Amino acid sequence: MKTGLDPIYKAIASVRLPGAKRWLLVGIALALVASYFSGQFNRYYLGVWMDCGINIILAVSLNLINGHTGQFSLGHAGFMSVGGYTAAKLSLVYSPSVPPEWHPVLLCAGLLLGGLASAVAGFLVGVPSLRLRGDYLAIVTLGFGEIIRVIFQNTEAVGAASGLSGIPKYTTLGWTFGVAAITIYVVAALVNSTYGRGFLAVSDDEVAASSMGINPTRYKVTAFVLGAFFAGIAGALYAHHKQTLTPTQFDFMKSIDIVVMVILGGMGRTGGVILAAIILTWMPEMLRGFADYRMIMYALLIIALMMLRPQGLFALNFKRKGGGAA
Amino acid sequence: MSQPLLKLDQVTIQFGGLTAVSKLDLAIGDREMVGLIGPNGAGKTTAFNLITGVYQPTAGRIEFAGLPIAGLKAHELTKLGVARTFQNIRLFGSLSVLDNVRAATQLHRSHGVINALWRGRAFRESEKEVRSFVMDLLGIFKLDGCADEEAKSLPYGDQRRLEIVRALATKPKLLLLDEPAAGMNPTEKEALMHLIRFIQEKFQISILLVEHDMKVVMGICERIAVLEYGVKISEGTPAEIQSDPRVIKAYLGTEDDEENVEVVHA
Repeated sequence: MKTGLDPIYKAIASVRLPGAKRWLLVGIALALVASYFSGQFNRYYLGVWMDCGINIILAVSLNLINGHTGQFSLGHAGFMSVGGYTAAKLSLVYSPSVPPEWHPVLLCAGLLLGGLASAVAGFLVGVPSLRLRGDYLAIVTLGFGEIIRVIFQNTEAVGAASGLSGIPKYTTLGWTFGVAAITIYVVAALVNSTYGRGFLAVSDDEVAASSMGINPTRYKVTAFVLGAFFAGIAGALYAHHKQTLTPTQFDFMKSIDIVVMVILGGMGRTGGVILAAIILTWMPEMLRGFADYRMIMYALLIIALMMLRPQGLFALNFKRKGGGAA
Repeated sequence: MSQPLLKLDQVTIQFGGLTAVSKLDLAIGDREMVGLIGPNGAGKTTAFNLITGVYQPTAGRIEFAGLPIAGLKAHELTKLGVARTFQNIRLFGSLSVLDNVRAATQLHRSHGVINALWRGRAFRESEKEVRSFVMDLLGIFKLDGCADEEAKSLPYGDQRRLEIVRALATKPKLLLLDEPAAGMNPTEKEALMHLIRFIQEKFQISILLVEHDMKVVMGICERIAVLEYGVKISEGTPAEIQSDPRVIKAYLGTEDDEENVEVVHA
């Protein structure tokens, strides 16, 4: 860092704080512009890009828990399903009685409600289980995800095993990438504050963090609740994108997919995680030409990527270097 | 020393049948530098862990500024004004030097989630304040030059110093140092003694030094308590301790402490 560029770094560091909100607006504006022109895109590509947006939300929010705070959650699909089912049910009940021009508001309400329901679930799971660490926490969150799935599978009100269908298609490219921009902003703004250094401190050394006046439990629960909140929103967007929900969509493999994005992107590196979410969404699509061998190719490519870049796609460290003020 | 800052009253802890610390009385006054010494296995670290809340005493009371502190969690204790360092350095290795200290400031300047997201004027001002507070603190200890480096990349001596700076950032009234001289060569030990004395004068705080190395303790502490087999066998000024036959016997009684015996005789 001791180069002639030092004053420039300092200048960037000093404008980044007030500029953070501006970046958020730029992100949302870009998403809306893309959405405006989305009628001209190929429908298939459009659908995959919407999947990308949803996966970015999932991966970046899981990164707050697994990357920045150093916990190991395998329950993200479970939180996603809580949000998805909540919002889908809301839309199915109210969309016939709401005039079409109010449908975005209905979606917005669904996103918030889904997010909140999921955050509550995150709190209920997080408080007792965050005393556990590493593998043990992974097993508990895995169990939680399965319990949620089984509950949905046996609840007639949400269609039991056949799930919900006929969910109105409200999700657009603008919604997915707009929410993705908000998610990225929230996680980045949080972690890059004096308060947010607590997450990283807990991740590095819980005992030392506690001795520095940081309450590790509170930080872990905060990360868990926020992560679950955004997973719930992603689930709501997913529901209004796919238009059908079945419990099997939210099985353990879905959680693993998101964990892989975080690990491949590099734990705690937001930029890398975004890139990994995009790559891992497109990869299975690109491999459709291999027909039956598609998933084998997908698995092989992940193994190759992990062996070539075990530290994550981006060796660049966004959060911890480059002028601590940012 | 009217009302001691930290007071241990007949503190005892047993692990199964073993009494690791027995009926320990210890008081540390305001701005006092006290040493706790003893041969290997005397119960120094156990006593340290009792004060910092890692262990619960089986019997007895521990008070800080008149409040009972046994059973408090580490972060609650820090909130009251007790900071500590670790025998085996525990920095936030992947964070920068600056961020290590910054993380420790939030006790006094925490904004919570909403402010961190909204980033209003007050938040930005206070982030700037935190930064300058941390840089000043690092400057005092000549660590400001490497503020942006990863903490784990620092040389050993600097890591020890950084750990102390980090503890000071919590603005403690009492600083507990757990064997800070461990693994240091004589020159580094000399520098450490200067540093501890400097901290005590500059920040006007009380310091409890738990240390194996007699030379360091003798050199800087006003009062020293000596533990042997969990029992306090002596307490007094360095001169008194050096001439106390019980202390000499305790140190002579163990074979692996020859180095310390010389110091006692000297």
